[in-house]
Order: sequence, then C-alpha cells, then structure tokens
Amino acid sequence: MKYRVVQIEQNIMRKNDALAETLRGRFAQSGTLVVNILSSPGSGKTTLLEQTLTRLAARRKVGALVGDQATDNDARRLARSGAPVRQITTAAECRLDADMIGKALEGWNCGPLDILFIENVGNLICPAEYDLGEDLRVVLFSVTEGEDKPLKYPLAFNTSQVAAVTKIDLAEAVGFDGDAAHASIRQVSPGVTIVELSARTGAGMDAWIDLVEARAAEKGRRPAGVG
Amino acid sequence: MHELSVALGLLEGVCETASRDAIDRVLAVHVRVGALTGIAPEALQFSWELASAGTVAEKSALKIDHIPLIVFCDRCASERRPAPASGLVCPECGSTCATIVHGRELQLVAMEVPQ
Repeated sequence: MKYRVVQIEQNIMRKNDALAETLRGRFAQSGTLVVNILSSPGSGKTTLLEQTLTRLAARRKVGALVGDQATDNDARRLARSGAPVRQITTAAECRLDADMIGKALEGWNCGPLDILFIENVGNLICPAEYDLGEDLRVVLFSVTEGEDKPLKYPLAFNTSQVAAVTKIDLAEAVGFDGDAAHASIRQVSPGVTIVELSARTGAGMDAWIDLVEARAAEKGRRPAGVG
Repeated sequence: MHELSVALGLLEGVCETASRDAIDRVLAVHVRVGALTGIAPEALQFSWELASAGTVAEKSALKIDHIPLIVFCDRCASERRPAPASGLVCPECGSTCATIVHGRELQLVAMEVPQ
C-alpha cells in the first residue's frame, strides 16, 4: 500500500513530565522538600523510612506516600512513627507516576509538610523514568545485592542525587566489597552522594538525617514561587 | 514492565495526531527507544498490539529505532559509546563521563498513513 509519513516527534513521557512540573510548583509554594525513594524489592526502603520518620517527626512536619502493587502493610508500618502516611496501591503498575501523587495529595489531610517522602514501588527499572516532582531522588542498594547492581540498572542510579548503601551491618557476613560497590555506583553516576547506613543498628543514620534536614532547610528558606 | 504504559502513551499521541489530521488508518508507527530506558522490545511490541486494538492504529507495525548509549567524554572532548554494562565509562580513556548524549530517548517519531 502506498503511504505517506506524518512526522510527530514527541516525548512519550510528556504528560507525566508536565504533571510533575505542576507538582514541583505546588511543593515550591509550600516549601516542602520531596524525597523519592527507589530500590529493588527488599533493599530496606520501609525500614529506612520507619527510622527516618521517627527521628524527624519530633522536630519537623514529615509525611510519607507509599506505593505498592498490593497491600497497605508498609503504610501501617510507617504510621507507627506518628507521621501522616498514605498508601497508594498501584495494582498493575510497577511504579508511581505524577498523576498518582497528585491524586493521593487530594483530600489527604496531612497539613503543610516540611518533608514529604515517597516510597516508590520496589523496582529499579520503571520508576527511574517517572518524575514525581521530587527535589531529591534517593536510590537504595543493600549489601546483599551484589556490587555490580548499579551497572545493571544505570538509569535509576544516574538520575539519583543520593545513593544509599543499606544494611551495612550485614556487610561482613555477606562479604560485601564496599570499594567495588562504590566504584560501580560512580561508573554510572559520577556526581552522586554516597551514604552507607543501617536503619536497624542506626549506623550512618545521623549523616543521612543531616543530609535530608539540610536540604529541607534550604528549600524552606527559598522564597515560595514568584508573584 | 512499563511497556504497556509506554504503548498507551504512544497510542495517545498517534490518536491525537490522527484525529487532528482526519486520518482514519495508521499503517505503521515509528518510535525511538534509548538503551538506558530498560524497555524490552518484544514486550513493547506485544503491548502495542494490545493497546492499539480497536483504534485507528489496529494491526499497525511498530518500528523501533534502538538508540545506543552515547556519552560525552570531557577528557577526550568527544562523544563515545561505552561498552555494554560498563556504565558511563569512556572506552578510550577510562574516565567516567557525566553527560549522557543519547540513550534516554522514549519518543514517538512519526507514523505511516495511506496516501
């Protein structure tokens, strides 16, 4: 069949990107620091958040949105910190998107937040493509996962500003090679800040909390929007 | 597995363009997919078949242009193509490159329609 070509040239993610920009504007107005946490299933996102919310809740207004394909178990775990927490059940979707965040914020009576944590669905491929309007993207990588994981999922590491090596208390038991892990993180994300921590023992948690608080203070000081 | 979301995003662009130009049949759709996106081509093909069923693009061919990862090496002052699974490391000088030139593409490029 004879055909003609219609040029289109558009980014497939454009709708999500536009919604994420709207969210970013809204968070700029409220001075809320938004932290999007990515990792494989089982790297310790919920445990890290539990400890983080508990430590911050006393002096900062913090809240969390939690994405899972099924169950609200994680939200219930996090709610024990006393911080407002809302579960987003994504069903078939393997990641959160900006539209889900916008909808979850509607009618969520959490008051103005200094810091909003978003626990993404456990997956290192899909969430990397979706901007949620965050200021800080944090990718977790536990010592039990293999030092070359960043090389297998380069985009998740490359688009993150912080890479957190978790479960560091298990490093010796599993023969974790920290130098090799740092090198593979650097190979895909030369400018990333690397922190090492154990949410269970508390090792490295002060540095992590300081990092988040410093960013929150910076955002809170910034004049909200223009006009 | 976000290929179905990608296919639905593609379909939206295709249908919008078709309705704008009063096109009632689409024969093929061209997309650009970068190496860093983690998109599995077979899964995207399959998702496209599902997503396009019952639309102007039903049974249209999805033509995927695979874009390799290309970085800019500051030390070599040149664009380079890293070896597979070597991150953003320059294959010539071994330095890690901060700038991704190509590889993140996820674009609807064009469509073929009957003349």
